[in-house]
Amino acid sequence: MAEDLVLDTAIRDWVLIPLTVVMILIGVLRYFVSKLMRSQQNPDAKVVREGQVVIRARNLRAGANFIPAKSFRARRAYFSNEENGLLHVPKGQGQNPQAQMFSDPNMAMDMMKKNLSMIIPQTLTFAWVNFFFSGFVAAKIPFPLTQRFRSMLQNGIDLSTVDVSYVSSRSWYFLNLFGLRGLFSLILGEENAMDDTQRMMQMSGFGMDPTKNLSAEKDGLDIIQHEWALPKFEQRAEAALKKLIS
Amino acid sequence: MVTKSEETQLNRLESQVDNGGGGAWEYLCLVRKLKVRRSDKVLKYGLSILNDSKKRSSLGSEEWTLYEEVAIAAMDCQSLDVAKDCVNVLRKKFPESKRVGRLEALLLEAKGSWGEAEKAYSSLLEDNPCDQAVHKRRVALAKSQGNLSGAIEWLNKYLEIFMADHDAWRELAEIYVSLQMYKQAAFCYEELILSQPTVPLFHLAYADVLYTLGGLENLQTARKYYSSTIDLTGGKNTRALFGICLCTSAIAQLSKGRAKEDKDSPDLQSLATAALEKEARDSPSVLRLSWKSGCRANHLDMLSCSFEI
Repeated sequence: MAEDLVLDTAIRDWVLIPLTVVMILIGVLRYFVSKLMRSQQNPDAKVVREGQVVIRARNLRAGANFIPAKSFRARRAYFSNEENGLLHVPKGQGQNPQAQMFSDPNMAMDMMKKNLSMIIPQTLTFAWVNFFFSGFVAAKIPFPLTQRFRSMLQNGIDLSTVDVSYVSSRSWYFLNLFGLRGLFSLILGEENAMDDTQRMMQMSGFGMDPTKNLSAEKDGLDIIQHEWALPKFEQRAEAALKKLIS
Repeated sequence: MVTKSEETQLNRLESQVDNGGGGAWEYLCLVRKLKVRRSDKVLKYGLSILNDSKKRSSLGSEEWTLYEEVAIAAMDCQSLDVAKDCVNVLRKKFPESKRVGRLEALLLEAKGSWGEAEKAYSSLLEDNPCDQAVHKRRVALAKSQGNLSGAIEWLNKYLEIFMADHDAWRELAEIYVSLQMYKQAAFCYEELILSQPTVPLFHLAYADVLYTLGGLENLQTARKYYSSTIDLTGGKNTRALFGICLCTSAIAQLSKGRAKEDKDSPDLQSLATAALEKEARDSPSVLRLSWKSGCRANHLDMLSCSFEI
């Protein structure tokens, strides 16, 4: 290409900067809206208890060799016997999360709120950008890039002759959408910034079966070999004392 | 846990504030963060901030945290009027808050009206059965009334849900020991060893309990745990050294006629004795102190043992 494209300064003033400002404002606004809508939810005693059981069983597995064999066997029976052990999950009892969601309307409500606060502003802003700024070349990045980046940076422009370092307005929107996390964490404080990528990951993480955790822990406990570590300590104590005396 | 550097920082700030060098708010924040108990200082400096309306308003929303902190400190110092004023201010600001409800219950407890406090805690728990602080307060309430079996009951209820809370296990163990329910205490100490296998204090306490329980098997186990304490502390723990001597002589007495020689480590006792002698030579005062501090169930035994040496 003989000559570079010259971008009108009006594009900078009326497309690039407004788009960025609007994205930031929407991010902040969304944070406050979601803070307003967040319902204070008390953790369910049963869920808390299951988490604690898993921690305690893990401790038992890790420190098994530090307690006498009798105590260990008693504890293992307490955790994993087939009748009423803490880690034993009766067959068919394991609620699947879908059913749980239907049985608990609060949960569905919560999810819907989360979804709404995420999807509605996104659709609106996307529509807005598409309507007003479609087809603009909004900016130019100061370094060359390979052709692979064309779909990322020039979304909405179907020209193969334009240099890849030019950024279309729609791509600028996407870059802002996913790239403003650092800025939000500056504005709203470290832990409050939640960008959409994280939120999506959370969504996919939803629906894990808590009972799996229990039965995995039970299996781990069942196969453990108890070997009391304390007899070794007498020799070690002797060594320590010898060192101390000499 | 307060680390060394945090402690030096705290002490430096405290002396700075004591000598009128300013930084009272930073000091109060640090006290709150480290959860140390310096109620008199907190009360004094917190009140001086709260009474100064300019300083108070410069805190912004932190003001209410300070009110809470000062209220608790005032209850600890038995300045109940101050505490009541603070709680009332908070109640006016947050009429619905559970956190203020907790403070009010605490105030009732500080006044000594046990029944009302108990009722307040129960109603708080009804609203939120997973409130750990309220559960623990209820245990403390029973304990301060001298109702140890009640405390045990509440603690057990608490541990049924929060069974990974090792501080609660420790509290339970100590209550059991004070009630001479050693088997139960042993269970709790096992639980503590499981959760933190490298803390020598738990090994030591477990060994104490086992020794007190008596019986050949328990004594042998106790000796093993005393040795693990010695190993973990590098032989610096006088109580564990005494424990070794005691266990060995008790085992020898019990297994007398049976001609069963303890073949594990016959010279452990002589080593422990030598270590004790060395310690007595180097710093006699330490040994005397450890006698004083070793005033639990086997205190007398300890003394007699040291005379044998």
